[in-house]
Amino acid sequence: MSIRFRENTDRFFSRLFSFTGLLTIALLAGIFFMLVYNSVSFFLNTEPIDFFTGFQWNPGNKGSYGILPLIASTVLVTFGAMLIAVPLGIFTAAYMSEFADRKLQKFLKPVIEMLAAIPSVAVGFLGIVVIGPGIAKLFGIQNGLNALNGSILLAIMSLPTIITVAEDAIHAVPASYKEASLGLGADKWETLFRVTLPAALPGLIAAVMLGLGRAIGETMTVLMATGNSLAFPDGYLDSIRTITATIAIEMGEVPYQTTHYYALFAIATVLFVITLVVNLLGEEIAKHYRKFGA
Amino acid sequence: MCACSQEIRTIKIKGSDTEVNLVTELAESFHKIDKSCYLSISGGGSGLGIASLLNGQADIATSSRELNSEETELFKKRGIELDTFVFAEDAIAFVVSPSLSLDSLTTETLARILDGTLTDWASLTGEKQPINIYGRQSNSGTYDFVKDKLKIQFSRKAKEMNGNAQILEAIKADPSGIGYVGAGYVLNDRNGQSRDIKVLSVSQDKNSPAFSPLDSNAVFQHQYYFRRHLFQFIRKSSAEVAAPFIDFEKSTTGTGIIRKSGYYPVKIF
Amino acid sequence: MKKQKKHIGGWILLLGSTILICTFLVNIIFHLFSKGIPVLSWDFIFGYPTDGMTKGGIFPAIIGTIMVTLITTVFAVPFGICCALYLNEYAGESTLTGTIRASIRNLSGIPSIIYGLFGLALFVQSLKLGTSMLSAGLTLGLLSLPYIITTTEESLKRVPNSTREAALALGATQFESIRDFVIPQAMPGIITGIVLTIARVAGETAPILFTGVAFYITGIPGSVKQEFMALPYHLYMLSTQHQSIETVRPLAYGTVTVLILIIFLMNLVAFYIRYKFRENE
Repeated sequence: MSIRFRENTDRFFSRLFSFTGLLTIALLAGIFFMLVYNSVSFFLNTEPIDFFTGFQWNPGNKGSYGILPLIASTVLVTFGAMLIAVPLGIFTAAYMSEFADRKLQKFLKPVIEMLAAIPSVAVGFLGIVVIGPGIAKLFGIQNGLNALNGSILLAIMSLPTIITVAEDAIHAVPASYKEASLGLGADKWETLFRVTLPAALPGLIAAVMLGLGRAIGETMTVLMATGNSLAFPDGYLDSIRTITATIAIEMGEVPYQTTHYYALFAIATVLFVITLVVNLLGEEIAKHYRKFGA
Repeated sequence: MCACSQEIRTIKIKGSDTEVNLVTELAESFHKIDKSCYLSISGGGSGLGIASLLNGQADIATSSRELNSEETELFKKRGIELDTFVFAEDAIAFVVSPSLSLDSLTTETLARILDGTLTDWASLTGEKQPINIYGRQSNSGTYDFVKDKLKIQFSRKAKEMNGNAQILEAIKADPSGIGYVGAGYVLNDRNGQSRDIKVLSVSQDKNSPAFSPLDSNAVFQHQYYFRRHLFQFIRKSSAEVAAPFIDFEKSTTGTGIIRKSGYYPVKIF
Repeated sequence: MKKQKKHIGGWILLLGSTILICTFLVNIIFHLFSKGIPVLSWDFIFGYPTDGMTKGGIFPAIIGTIMVTLITTVFAVPFGICCALYLNEYAGESTLTGTIRASIRNLSGIPSIIYGLFGLALFVQSLKLGTSMLSAGLTLGLLSLPYIITTTEESLKRVPNSTREAALALGATQFESIRDFVIPQAMPGIITGIVLTIARVAGETAPILFTGVAFYITGIPGSVKQEFMALPYHLYMLSTQHQSIETVRPLAYGTVTVLILIIFLMNLVAFYIRYKFRENE
């Protein structure tokens, strides 16, 4: 094979590879552009004020497209999920990092990965057959398809993310911090709660943000297990409809290029922006914790 | 005989959840005698079926309601022509728990329950229990049908279930609930679970007799208030491909399956 | 005394949480499998749904999942590996590279349903592919890209620079050094990433909802332009929309068991590859 040929091949592939790199930017830009383009089409026909402050999501010919009930539902269920998942996740991560011996760690890591591997439909199914009826029996209500069910299920889904990132963060705290604390007379619990965890705080916050991002974007689980009622939610035992569930339910039934169609893209844009902000925040904070460790 | 040629013809059928199981059974039988057509069937609601027709993503839309004016507009605007085929009659059953001491309702009371004016069973049964409504979502033809027949807007507190089956499940578990499903679902519950569910009879006012949707004569003679045609809308451009399946639905085998599913096949004149 | 209380408190919080999480997993698997495994049989796995989906098997759903995952892999793997090669082997640290990396990170955080919308707008509508296995497979391919790129890049990073330099010193072009030296060494890691991506894609429902999945099909799809059945959607339908929910509940348990078994199997394969690879290191 001549040098010429090999050099040309080299150059060709080099260009090919760079091209694919640019395509990923094109992909992100494409998604963003599609969302914005269709949202703008929506706002040409409707008052933005009504969209962002309206209390009723009632599509149809003279329908109202108020996003507030959807946002309230999403906030309610993800807040509940974080309430459950954050303490559980951080304490488990602390245990895995600081107290479990090597053998136990080798066992626990796959356990967490298995939990992460369970698909969202399966978790939603669980909500319908086990947790929903359980909630119904516990609270003496008739139907367990509500925000509480959704929160528990979303917690199950975000836990692996929170645990993995938090464990990395706690593990990355230099041994010198712990040794110094123990040397000053603190026991391992005081060290953990007063030295290690605070030192790992940026990483812990990153873990929470990533878990939150996961919970906000989840579709099937909430679709199957939260009742999907359009009324503004009253509390955790109320049926709710999140942004993701609304898109999933209504997208199939809209003729393309109608106001309703554009409205769904508008709420998808809101969802996109929210998850983007949450993930970016998490990343920024994580950058701060990289001063520890490699 | 088989009218599909050697190459595989694809027929996409989408639409009403009330009809999806029936259409699945029809497709199953159809496939046994004619293997050259590939049918793919989806539910999701009458709204989804009609939208799919508009979007070119379906050949046949099954719908439990007529096209509304916006849809007819859109079809005209996009230059899509349709054939309409009424392939069955259905009745909507209003279901409650057997423990509720109520057997029939007037349409007026029903309207007041479903739009949220009446929130407690006390005035009807003497027992103080909150009324829990289990209904469908806006993409459901059943939802639209009940809404239009009663000329109401549903209460915002109504729970929107994903399908007929979920409504039946909810009613079985909730002694103070009320829901609406296609009568075919109740009739067709193969484990004879109609014992866990009570179907209310409906009268048009206090002095008229009340009819039950389980009474086939009442349905055919249009005496039961909540009865409706089940439609299939076919794109004229797909009419040739879809013809063998439509013919099958009209055949003795086809109508037999429709009847077995708890619907009333439309009598062919 | 106070210290002892703190100790007990600490143990309860930490060990308690860990045990709770482990029991979650065990309970979930146990509950689903105990009701699902009895349903599994030759007919269930290889048979067709019958009697309006109240009896029979889930074969078309299994095949559909396999076929659409294949399309996803064929599309996303070459694309993803090329991009990872670019980032790790060719690109320096410039604003462009930084932007590309940021794009990839952001892409991985986007909810799957937005990918579904994008797939609908791009593949189903603009490219006129219609609702089909191809549209769904391509949409899932886009979804998997960030993950494949990231895992491939990590594997490439693990190959020491000395390998590359040695090859170049011997007269190879950059492309040849990558093709003959770097990639073979990074292969186990790359394959692990691919296997894990497949495991994830097999369970995704939201992106295929409006791009091509169907409730029932009368045969195995003969062309990629046809609609298909898939395990996760089948589970969703059986548990929420079907006519006789209680009759088909056992089928739902069977479906979720098959789905989880397939996913766990892939994860085990990935673990095994990773384990063997670490041994050789």
